[in-house]
Amino acid sequence: MSERGLAARLGESWFGTNLPPHALSQLAEIATLRSYPAEATVLREGAPTTEFGVVLSGRIALRTLVPERGPVTILTVEPGDVFGWSALVEPHEATSNAVALEAAEALVFDGPALRRLLAADAALAASVYPRLLTAVARRLVATRTQLLDLYAGQEQAPW
Amino acid sequence: MVTGAAEARFLPRSQLQVLIDLLAEDGRRVIGPTVADGAVVYDEVRSPDDLPVGLRDEQAPGSYRLVETGTPRVFDVTVGMTSWKRYTFPPIVPLTRASREDGHLSLESSAETPELLAFLGVRGCELAALRVQDRVLAGGPFVDTDYLDRRQSSLVVAAQCTRAAKTCFCTSMGTGPEAGEGADLVLTELDDGFLVESRSPMGDQLLDRLPADLAEPAQQTAARLAVAATRESIGNPVATEGLHDRLLDALDSPRWQEVADRCLACANCTLVCPTCFCTSVTQRADLDTSTIVAERSWDSCFTAGFAKVAGGSFRSRRQDRYRQWLTHKFATWIDQFGTSGCVGCGRCISWCPVGIDVREELEAIAPPAEGLRKHPQLAGGTGPATYSIGTIRSIAAETADTYSLVIDGIDPTITNGTPGQFLMVEQPGFPAFPISISRYGLDHVVLTVRAAGPATSHLVHSEPGTEIGLRGPLGVGWPVERALGRDVVIATGGIGLAPLRPLIDALVSARDRFGRVRLHYGARTPRDMLYTDELASWPELGIEVALTVDRAGPEWLGRVGVVTQLFDQDDWRGQPAVAYLCGPERMMQVAVRTVGERGIPAERTFVSLERHMECGIGLCGHCQMGKVFVCRDGPVFSVAQLGDALNVEGL
Repeated sequence: MSERGLAARLGESWFGTNLPPHALSQLAEIATLRSYPAEATVLREGAPTTEFGVVLSGRIALRTLVPERGPVTILTVEPGDVFGWSALVEPHEATSNAVALEAAEALVFDGPALRRLLAADAALAASVYPRLLTAVARRLVATRTQLLDLYAGQEQAPW
Repeated sequence: MVTGAAEARFLPRSQLQVLIDLLAEDGRRVIGPTVADGAVVYDEVRSPDDLPVGLRDEQAPGSYRLVETGTPRVFDVTVGMTSWKRYTFPPIVPLTRASREDGHLSLESSAETPELLAFLGVRGCELAALRVQDRVLAGGPFVDTDYLDRRQSSLVVAAQCTRAAKTCFCTSMGTGPEAGEGADLVLTELDDGFLVESRSPMGDQLLDRLPADLAEPAQQTAARLAVAATRESIGNPVATEGLHDRLLDALDSPRWQEVADRCLACANCTLVCPTCFCTSVTQRADLDTSTIVAERSWDSCFTAGFAKVAGGSFRSRRQDRYRQWLTHKFATWIDQFGTSGCVGCGRCISWCPVGIDVREELEAIAPPAEGLRKHPQLAGGTGPATYSIGTIRSIAAETADTYSLVIDGIDPTITNGTPGQFLMVEQPGFPAFPISISRYGLDHVVLTVRAAGPATSHLVHSEPGTEIGLRGPLGVGWPVERALGRDVVIATGGIGLAPLRPLIDALVSARDRFGRVRLHYGARTPRDMLYTDELASWPELGIEVALTVDRAGPEWLGRVGVVTQLFDQDDWRGQPAVAYLCGPERMMQVAVRTVGERGIPAERTFVSLERHMECGIGLCGHCQMGKVFVCRDGPVFSVAQLGDALNVEGL
């Protein structure tokens, strides 16, 4: 796919919606369109995160292995959302396993190349980091809500 | 001359033909309720078979259905789609015929001698409507002679109502269900025939010719009780005291705009209204214009041209037209004619394509003082100690701690409940507890119960055949009619799907009347999802289902995350949608904010609140929350009704 095509697809995604055109085209220059077959491992917990990605189609599960409970899915990354944000945040280690639950497609960015690009261009960094922060903050808020275990009905009812 | 009830006669069902024949012998065409295109329409009746035998109408905002009852009764339908004004004040009446010959103009009246008619089965509200039009069209300084001629050519056989539709509010308007003035004969249907009373000399003559014996006291009592029960079932849905002033004081209510947002200005309400009398005159010419006929036809204050003058329209906005109609009908009509223009027949509610309910609008626009505020009449046992008995037919596990119970052998008022209503369940030795109805069957309901405490645990482990006490249906449920013509988003979590299932059933049963319908359902884990078979089959019935769980093992290939994240994949932003939300309060707070951000206004976002409910009827005080009792005024509220209460801790 041409860089123009990649920029357009990035712009249509939730993550790319509010990025200015110059940012989209600069990012598209270092982006690769990648397909993952079902069950493919995208990230491995604790391993260096070499790529940041935006899901375009399919579903990627973020899983943590809990001894004696097996792999627990904490979140699924749906089209438009991101994975591999640790590629941009030290120490650049994946915080969970990422596994494609079904055939998926993503725009991926080489971690070191993306970091170099953002370090060299303050204007680009000023566009991209707030989006990244929003993506991670959304995830934080959602995880807190999950943590409340709202459906558990913790208290004994009076009846 | 009014004949006393002492002379009431009993006409066996088999002799109804004789009454029709007597009317025909007198040269009258008999007009009564008949069935056409799935609705009751007043048309020619030659035999009792032409009447809606064994049918009952189910009316609700924006909804009308005929249902078979399997009985031989003919007057179990309430009011038909069109009113008697179709005959007394026809939609099109030729007025004059103009012609020009040899330079001379002639203008002739087109008046014809109207045919003799007999109206069979005129309801109390409809008699009142005839009186209202009599006053408007024949009771002032100028008289519509066409109307007067037609009225004087019609004989009226009334039928008192022995059941009511959900849209009826004659009791509030003082027009029914009893037959008031203006009838010649009055019928009250009993199982095996009709109680017949005369109210005029013409009625006396007819009664003398009928093969009807004097009615037994038991028959008279049965008739009186049947009509009284109808009155009871309607309650008093509209607080009319002071309504005139309250309405005129509310000309700048923001609600007019909110109604206009739903109103299509289609004029259906004015066409089915039995008292609306506005007309226009149009000229119809031959091609050579030698003869020109002027015709009077029904017009409506909802049409764009109704208030048009050379400089534009005085009421270009729909909110102005709705205000014009409502304030005329309920307020300025009284100033002009001494009576309300509304008789409470409910036609404008049933035949509104978007289900605008005039009772609800009056309450919102011109709310009565607190002491006068009317609450919906609660069906069934409503006292704190009035239970009916139901039998647990079967119990099926939904999840590890949640069960669905089929309850039958129940009072029919329970199956007549609405989506979102609940029952108080009583088992000896346990405190009674509220459970929402999770499905309505013809002769049963389903209750989905989580075993969360001693009483609920005892219930779900009962043996089939166990009898339990039930009180209800109670509370105010989901306003399904607000979704007519709109996209619908339903967001729910955990057991919150149970009270929403009857709403989904209602949407499915009339699927083409709603836009896209999306269900967003979240659960703790995949094993905690209710109704998994139906979640899989609803998409075939036109419900888009998106599921998510808080956590899952590797076998789950669906979404994991909180239920509000499902909105990220939606694209209805800007569409006129309605939202129904039910789940833990914290989940609903997040969902309310999310749908608000997507442009669904607070007036169209509905939540079901959970509070400690003990009596279910607003007497015990447990569920009081600000201005409302959750059990009686809810449990379903619009977010606009609740204001900030949803986000205040500890309310």
